[in-house]
Amino acid sequence: LPRRYAAFSDATSYYFPCKAKFICPRISHETRIPVTSSLQKGWIMISRLVSPFRRKHGKMWHGRTLKERYDIVIVGGGVHGLATAYFLARDHGIKEVAVLERRYIGYGGSGRNTAIARANQRSKENIPLYREGLKMWPWLTRELDFNLMFSPIGNLNLAHSEAEVAALRTMIATAQYMDVPSELLKPEECRKLIPILDISGRPRFPVMGGMYHPPGGTVRHDAVVWALARGADRLGVHIHQGVEVKAIRVEKEKIAGVETDQGNIKTAKILNAAGGYSPTISTMVGLSLPITVLPLQALVSEPLKPVLHHVISSGRYHAYGYQGLKGEIITGAHMDPWPTYTTHTTAGYMKHQAEALIDLMPPLKAARFMRIWGGLTDMTPDMAPIISDSVVGGYYMDCGWGYFGFKSGPVTGKYVAEWMAKEECPPILKPFHLRRFREFDLQKETASTMYYTPWN
Amino acid sequence: LSFLIPCPHCGPRNIYEFRFGGEVKSRPDEKTTDPEQWAEYVYFSRNVAGPQKEWWFHTKGCGCWFTLWRDTTTNLPVEAPEGGL
Repeated sequence: LPRRYAAFSDATSYYFPCKAKFICPRISHETRIPVTSSLQKGWIMISRLVSPFRRKHGKMWHGRTLKERYDIVIVGGGVHGLATAYFLARDHGIKEVAVLERRYIGYGGSGRNTAIARANQRSKENIPLYREGLKMWPWLTRELDFNLMFSPIGNLNLAHSEAEVAALRTMIATAQYMDVPSELLKPEECRKLIPILDISGRPRFPVMGGMYHPPGGTVRHDAVVWALARGADRLGVHIHQGVEVKAIRVEKEKIAGVETDQGNIKTAKILNAAGGYSPTISTMVGLSLPITVLPLQALVSEPLKPVLHHVISSGRYHAYGYQGLKGEIITGAHMDPWPTYTTHTTAGYMKHQAEALIDLMPPLKAARFMRIWGGLTDMTPDMAPIISDSVVGGYYMDCGWGYFGFKSGPVTGKYVAEWMAKEECPPILKPFHLRRFREFDLQKETASTMYYTPWN
Repeated sequence: LSFLIPCPHCGPRNIYEFRFGGEVKSRPDEKTTDPEQWAEYVYFSRNVAGPQKEWWFHTKGCGCWFTLWRDTTTNLPVEAPEGGL
């Protein structure tokens, strides 16, 4: 790389340079934007003029007719399903893969999440997966040749009591031991990162410290879905939108095929990557899951000038937010306490978000919310996913992600693809087997301070 | 649009006053059960898309537990279906 690009590639790589840790990455003089010479500018202009003739801008992915047989059928056209399909075709040469999506790809959680990426999980079983997932974004951008808009703006988690500061210390120790940059900040240091943060004694829960996780940030979630779909399609994967799975045929304890509203498919392997609808799919093979499907709402404010340069979150306020590239404050938080298959939004939720954000960052009180939407989260009791095979031969699950599904999508797809292709569980996925519930050996993610269930 | 949960003592109240207590399941007999059945009872749920019988607790009201039939596809309380649970 030429020297002038070096600083830029540092900023987008996993390790944000430590010397700039208390300086906002977006406005820091440390962050240099690549300089384009006039010669390069000229070449870009010429290639833009020429490209319509040189390159055919085809469809990103194609409508295919449903075949009678596929090697692998993936139920759910979200980040997890598409990533698995992509890596099956790319790394394992399995091209006879169908992704079945009932609505359109990215309709569910993949297009409804708030697009935050981070690797500061609580337990040592979970961190390696998220750590690799976070490192993957810059690589994936190049690999898929698609701007995923990965912005490593850093995540700041606030603590509002001595107990929470102690909990953050434990999390930071775990993270640092697992080679994930994370550090404890004093309230004054938090304020240096986020100048509009009120660190006085005025807020209902005054800020007593923060956990700063510099390599985390945001990714454009739609772009991830589109890029993976395009990549998979180019490798020969069939993406079927508007195809609903009606039943799964099991013969002699093994997967035999899928019945859909568009016809039947013979297959030996199925992956359940249906997110909020995964319990429904699981019921088709006669398995219940330790999942509760809860709704989660998120909101976007009107665009503002740059005020919030990091992802800020508070477990106590049950709120998190960041400023998107267009200037809106994107915020969400805890699940609502009723199991549902609807995506209702509520006035109470909006009020709660507004109160929480304004209490922490008073200048935001002038901002108005523009949009609100809801999605489904498949919550497990221990806040860790279910990545598992089952007593039914050829039936695999990648579900129970709750609200962690987006940031871990591509990396999980990579390992699930390896599992389905080689029929041997990669060590990194072993802790997530469904049997942990029957053995009463649950994961410890609920000890995290970013734990937004409706009832904690 | 939030919705109302009919509390048997306080009448219809805002959903945010309540805590969801899980699906109503048949509790295994403590004398004859094994850990596997306990795990099934404690963690696993059916996640019905449609009417299901569930536990609710009126945290910000009378503080009582009660059961309710509710349709998970509309969020509205419904009459108990025939032969249900």
